[in-house]
Amino acid sequence: MKRITVDPPQSDARRERVERQVFAELQRMRMAERADAAIPEARFRGWLVAAAFAAAATMAVALFATHSTEIKIAEREVPSQITTPIGGTSQFTVGDAVMVAASDTSVEVKHGDDGGITLVLARGSVDCDVAPRNGRPPFHVLAGDIAVEVVGTRFTVTRTPTPRVDVTRGKVRVTAPGGSWLVAAGQSWSPSVSTTVAKSEPAPEPTVAPETPTPTPTPETPTPAPVVHRVSSQAAFLAAGRLEATDPARASKAFRTIASGKDAWAAPALYALTELHASSDRDAALADCAEYLRRFPHDPQAEDVTWLRVEILRTAGRRDEARSAAAEYLRQFAHGSYAGLAERIATPN
Amino acid sequence: MGFPLGAVGLSIVEKPTPEGEAELVAACIAGDQTAQRTLFRREYPRVHATVYRILGPSRDQDDLVQETFIAVFRGLGRFRGESRLSTWIDRIAVRLVFDHIRARGKTPVPLGVVDHEESGSVEIDAQAHARDGLRRLYAALGQLVPEQRMAFALYAIDGRSIAEVARLTGVTAVTAKLRIWRARRELMKRAASDPVLKEQVLS
Repeated sequence: MKRITVDPPQSDARRERVERQVFAELQRMRMAERADAAIPEARFRGWLVAAAFAAAATMAVALFATHSTEIKIAEREVPSQITTPIGGTSQFTVGDAVMVAASDTSVEVKHGDDGGITLVLARGSVDCDVAPRNGRPPFHVLAGDIAVEVVGTRFTVTRTPTPRVDVTRGKVRVTAPGGSWLVAAGQSWSPSVSTTVAKSEPAPEPTVAPETPTPTPTPETPTPAPVVHRVSSQAAFLAAGRLEATDPARASKAFRTIASGKDAWAAPALYALTELHASSDRDAALADCAEYLRRFPHDPQAEDVTWLRVEILRTAGRRDEARSAAAEYLRQFAHGSYAGLAERIATPN
Repeated sequence: MGFPLGAVGLSIVEKPTPEGEAELVAACIAGDQTAQRTLFRREYPRVHATVYRILGPSRDQDDLVQETFIAVFRGLGRFRGESRLSTWIDRIAVRLVFDHIRARGKTPVPLGVVDHEESGSVEIDAQAHARDGLRRLYAALGQLVPEQRMAFALYAIDGRSIAEVARLTGVTAVTAKLRIWRARRELMKRAASDPVLKEQVLS
């Protein structure tokens, strides 16, 4: 058979862009993991204090159960377990629902006698695209002590470290100790973050959360516990990242809010903002670069930001400035990742 | 441990020795970012080319290449050296592209109206003709079932052997061969009424 010749376009600039994005993303993931690792310990301390109220809690749960959606899992067949490795994703379908399990996720699929489907999320995150349930068998997701009942929607349930539900389309009913909430498209739900958790991150909350975080109490809930919702910088950062493709303006605003803080997420947020601006508003991107290098000169991404400045100027056709920026890059990172290209740009023809 | 980067650009493609490769992998796992960047630059051209040849011109290419390398660096600890590192990386890329194609389903690429007005320049006309052929080829590939499309693209466009196609897609050589044959048969059916596509597909 004849081989078909297709020559992929080659471009250094393109490779550099992908390279920058790969290493920025890896950096974000490392930070997220460090934050995740810190949270369980803090939560455990909180639970020790809460242990004194165990008896009362048991009663409360019993009361709550009478109001909550009943979820019976009578197993009709051997449950299937989906586990995705770190860095991988798995798409699977159950009935009419299409699910994507994110990296490092463990989820069990159970079938009820009534034809209903229940996903039990042990860890990670699962994105579900489910048809409206009008007349169809029920669909639930359990993540620890929270239950999500599908009304008809696309949504994501995340368990690690704190349960979180993000609704993209339609509505879901979230039932958790303390009440039940209807969460609509564009809204997110997660339990309030305890003060011990807040302490683990010095300046955790942006004043404007990228997605409406406060759950909407359902009218049918008799006495929903008031939830003072605090969004950690980590959660806000991840949410802003999800918005990048669909709503760059909101993503930009959210990144700016996080970047204005003083915690560990400020630098990655400012970097993400710079990248976002680089494709739409070069002057803003250059201002971001300057701010980044002034505030975080020793951050691991500082080299990339210094180089990004060269690339923005070069793309804008501002050759002299690009040449000076390349020379500045070489002065700081003589043996850096982009040194070869910087030398070519810095050297006048 | 450091790895000299040498010149920056697509030209850095050094054939690694098994020992050198093991050392590089160990450094990457230990979090040595210089080693990680060296690995990225060594593998990028091939991964980029494979993704492009399977997918064709698409806005999703760079995202898929990016996802591949993130998966590679996150999963490198599980690489046991049972296959070549490049094969392991290619398998990740192929799996991600396959998931992407399957998730999108059959996506006919609109061919639009191709204006065949002569430009007067032989070179420009030849380029336009080549672009048209490429567009038609990927429009036709978009109509195949993902398994056939993957096998055909890896074999006939990316130049892999049947054994490699089988390894990368996780099937037997017989299955791989069958998928390639079925894909080609489908393409030939479409090519019967499309002379530009016919030129691309038929030997």
